[in-house]
Amino acid sequence: MRVFKNLGWFFKLEKKSYIIGLVMLVLVALMELVPPQVIGRVIDQITTETLTSNTLILFGVMLVFVAILTYIFRFFWRVMIFGASNRLGRTLRERLFKKYSVMSPAFFGKRRTGDLMAHATNDINAVQMTAGAGILTIADSVITGGAVLITMALTVSPKLTLIAMIPLPFMVILTSWYGSILSRLFRVAQAAFSSLNDKTQESIAGIKVTKTFGYEDEDLKDFTNLSDDVVKKNLKVAKIDALFDPTITAIIAISYFLSIFFGARMVVADEITLGQLVTFTTYLGMMVWPLLALGWFFNLIERGKASYDRIEEIMNTKSDIGTNVTSDVVPSGDITFNVSEFSFPGEAEVSLRDIHFTLKEGKTLGIVGRTGSGKSSIIRLLLREFDTDADNTVAVNGVDIKQADIKNLRQLFGYVPQDNFLFSTTIRNNIAFTNPDINIEKIYRAAELSYIHQDITAFPAGYDTIVGERGVSLSGGQKQRISIARALIENPEVLILDDSLSAVDAETETAILNNIEQNRRGKTNIITAHRMSAVRDADLILVMEDGRIIERGNHASLTKAKGWYYETFKTQSLRQSLSKALDETLEGGRADDN
Amino acid sequence: MTTDVINLTLKDQFRVLGRLLKYTLPFKGILALAFTMLIISTVMGVMTPYLVMIFIDDYLTPSIFPEEDIMWLIIAFITVNVVAVLTTYWQIYLLQVLAFKVIQQLRIDAFQKIGKLGMTYFDKVPSGSVVSRLTNDTQAIVDMFTSVLGTFLMAIFMVISSFVMMFILDVKLAFITLIFMPVIIFILLVYRKYSARYFSHARGLLSDMNAKLSESIEGMKIIQVFNQEKRLQREFEVINEEHYQYNLRTIKLDGLLLRPAIDMIYILSIVVILSYFGFLSFETSVTAGVIFAFIQYMERFFEPINQVSQNLNIFQQALVAASRVFTLLDDDRHEPAQIIKKEYKITDGQVEFKNVTFSYDGNVDVLKNISFKVLPGTTTALVGHTGSGKSSIINLMMRFYEYEHGEILIDGHSIKELPKEEMKNNIGLVLQDPFIFYGTLTSNIKLYHSTMTFEMVRSAADFVGADSFINKLKNRYEQKVVEKGADFSSGERQLLAFARTMATNPKILILDEATANIDSSTEEKIQASLMKMRSGRTTLAIAHRLSTIQDADEILVLNKGEIVERGTHDELVQLKGIYYKMYRLQNSKQ
Repeated sequence: MRVFKNLGWFFKLEKKSYIIGLVMLVLVALMELVPPQVIGRVIDQITTETLTSNTLILFGVMLVFVAILTYIFRFFWRVMIFGASNRLGRTLRERLFKKYSVMSPAFFGKRRTGDLMAHATNDINAVQMTAGAGILTIADSVITGGAVLITMALTVSPKLTLIAMIPLPFMVILTSWYGSILSRLFRVAQAAFSSLNDKTQESIAGIKVTKTFGYEDEDLKDFTNLSDDVVKKNLKVAKIDALFDPTITAIIAISYFLSIFFGARMVVADEITLGQLVTFTTYLGMMVWPLLALGWFFNLIERGKASYDRIEEIMNTKSDIGTNVTSDVVPSGDITFNVSEFSFPGEAEVSLRDIHFTLKEGKTLGIVGRTGSGKSSIIRLLLREFDTDADNTVAVNGVDIKQADIKNLRQLFGYVPQDNFLFSTTIRNNIAFTNPDINIEKIYRAAELSYIHQDITAFPAGYDTIVGERGVSLSGGQKQRISIARALIENPEVLILDDSLSAVDAETETAILNNIEQNRRGKTNIITAHRMSAVRDADLILVMEDGRIIERGNHASLTKAKGWYYETFKTQSLRQSLSKALDETLEGGRADDN
Repeated sequence: MTTDVINLTLKDQFRVLGRLLKYTLPFKGILALAFTMLIISTVMGVMTPYLVMIFIDDYLTPSIFPEEDIMWLIIAFITVNVVAVLTTYWQIYLLQVLAFKVIQQLRIDAFQKIGKLGMTYFDKVPSGSVVSRLTNDTQAIVDMFTSVLGTFLMAIFMVISSFVMMFILDVKLAFITLIFMPVIIFILLVYRKYSARYFSHARGLLSDMNAKLSESIEGMKIIQVFNQEKRLQREFEVINEEHYQYNLRTIKLDGLLLRPAIDMIYILSIVVILSYFGFLSFETSVTAGVIFAFIQYMERFFEPINQVSQNLNIFQQALVAASRVFTLLDDDRHEPAQIIKKEYKITDGQVEFKNVTFSYDGNVDVLKNISFKVLPGTTTALVGHTGSGKSSIINLMMRFYEYEHGEILIDGHSIKELPKEEMKNNIGLVLQDPFIFYGTLTSNIKLYHSTMTFEMVRSAADFVGADSFINKLKNRYEQKVVEKGADFSSGERQLLAFARTMATNPKILILDEATANIDSSTEEKIQASLMKMRSGRTTLAIAHRLSTIQDADEILVLNKGEIVERGTHDELVQLKGIYYKMYRLQNSKQ
């Protein structure tokens, strides 16, 4: 029941719908009481030969009214209650989406997409069911059940009502007992089904192996065995599941028998009329559903409560990113790093150590080093994916970035991520991600700067080509270049290329870098890369290893120093020229994937 | 965004349903029994009001209660209900049994079909959707059989039996109440028409909404860094709102045409019954029992209609699911067939490609006039860039794809004419990405081989040098393998794949070398193992690292589907062509 208290805010919000809905339900319950009464009276008047055509017409008109009113009331309670519960689903979904969109990467790192999705689908459904079917079942049990019970007692006989009700609790007890056995068996059957699912998945993934060894028949036999198991376990469920209907039939039959047996005696004793007995048995049939609904109700709210708690847990999680905003201007200027030691939350290992440098506004910074050397960690700190504990570790124009509104800070950057994530929409919308209404010329311009315009126009649908599973699959290089166009389109103060040129060939890399240099005069660039050629023209190059800066300078000074940078640059240049020679021999046999 | 909702025409629905029902034919016994139970339980069901009617009219109204008659009535009442309860139970249970037997057969058929489909199919169809054909779609059909078909059958029986009883009680009134029939059918048809439309639209919106949500979760970092949270929220709200509006429409439609409407007609039918008997009672005597029974039958007539109409959507979904399963069963992208003229045997293991030209799509030739011969016991290596055609050669050799131009011969016989068994027993393929199955190391090496002993498994592992890492494991050969062998390094997985192939002791070895980075100590082991495997076997090897095939008897350099250079390592280095450049490039990697 606590779930209803927790949902109090919503019921308050939808007070009108629920009150109207419940009033309608009460009216429906009252209307439903009429036909059995009429049936009983008509029968009595026929048997006593007191029926007149006037009464008959009156009864008829009354029932027609009842029929129409019931129809209207029934329609409206559905719209009111189910409509409201759907609005609850909509509201919760909207809130959850909003919540997700303010959470930091640390939040997403700790949770799987599937779980976050489940909150927005299954959990919201369960809560929605509680506010819809849950309210309905309890209202139905109490209102309809109560109304019928009281009417039976008042208009026919309290004694007979009591007798007829004796078997009914057994129905509730038995059906909920079946329910508990069933949920256990169902879990077992579900587990069997999911191993069949796993088997199928594996068989398809390993189809080449199976075909190579010619084990198709044996694999089928294995599948058949698992499938047999699924059938066996589901039939166990069916064995119990099939008990519901006969049990209800049996209990109702007993109740029926009791009411006719004792009712007949009362008719003979003139305590009730024959018509009343008929009315009574008709009412009896109306008690079945409210009783079943009661069992259902507890099931529903139990699920709803668990789901609501899970949703609340997410809604109450605070973002890790501090909101200590003291400045409301968009930061800009020199970028300073003063990190003495930084570890990601929850990790013992130190990710960055003694990172001290200043990147002057308008200059280009290159960061190189092996995978895991800390290149991206620097970017992640700058983007405030994580906050450092110490103050002033990362500052823009001398102001700690923690003091800036994160939205303002983000306005400063144009970011090209490592995984070059694209959305499954058109290429146009992907490039114009920051502003879908942007001038098409600007989109073309950004695509030209990132050397992807020609690739795009070569697609049959051009800029309207859909990206992703439902559309074309792009090569890694194409994705990278579209990501670069997305970052370039707003001509940001600071452009960040996080290992974003790894899948394009050397010539395209040079061309893109040249474009960036020429078109971004006076703006800051940060480039991390595996290939030294990508940072060759940077004003400041940092060489990272194990989270430290091991070399720093520009291309000329680092070449002179003959350290890691120099050695790597030399080998890479040699490889590049060899590979170029090979490609020429192969008549440009490949474009950008290597 | 597009939605993956299929709408079947009425004709298609009947075709799919018919084909599904055909699956019940092998289970005639169960079907007949279920039907018998259904008939008995329905008949018993209509008996109760009849008995009550007799009691009311013959004994209660005149108020005479001969003990014996009443005894008999009570016995009859109890018997009828006991039989009804038992037969209802068996009828429900048997229909479930039938449903699961049908699904079992359908699943087996579908799985068998997957074994028969060629790689052309798997290239085109994402594996996730094949899996869901076999599991989720078939499950949807189970739901249809159990909740819908059962309900439908019971409904039909109940409707008919109730009408029969009404005719027995009063022919004229029964005829009059028949007028409700077309009204109900009309309502259901209108409902079906609109609900199918709304329902599939709402489902489509739901799947779009979920797709948007999951993509936003995955791309949240990008959304945030570009300050687009507000816009994405708005976009999500739009689709969320649209989804809500469609749901609301469905609620209204249900409210207009389902239970509220049917129940209204029920009350109207009571008006008709009461008026009929009321007016009749002015002319002749009408008994209370008959009115009681008639109303009971009327109610029994309406209840199943309510149930059926509520299940219509499940029914339509199941038909869509079934049609997808049938599309899989009807797919004709089969694996290449063998044309067996004589029981040829593979004896020496000589492989020859003669003027083979091949295209996957019929437009672009990925292999152009390829000819080469691998003499028994020698090694031929294939080198070249991605897309040069090396993998296609192996794909044809393994009969993953059918070729039309040229000929591939083993010991002089076309591989199209060699018995499948003979091919599988004598050709061993080591795949680039060694697939590791759930199970143990033993089961991964042995696979489904029926006669392989543990000793053979162990000696194969020993032969390829996998035993050293296996022996270090806690449970050795019985060590459980987690998902896709993630516990093992890629080198170890490679060694397992070697052992798996060597355990069958093939005459011809096809190697597709892994491109993945392998730690250097395992790399050495792999090289040593490859040398051992190749000796004495006809080997066709794709090499990414040229160092591994320097001792090959012949190296073929492929470019754009053609053999552009051929010879031994030394000859090719002398030639200073493509091979030489590739060799230098690879050696520059320190």
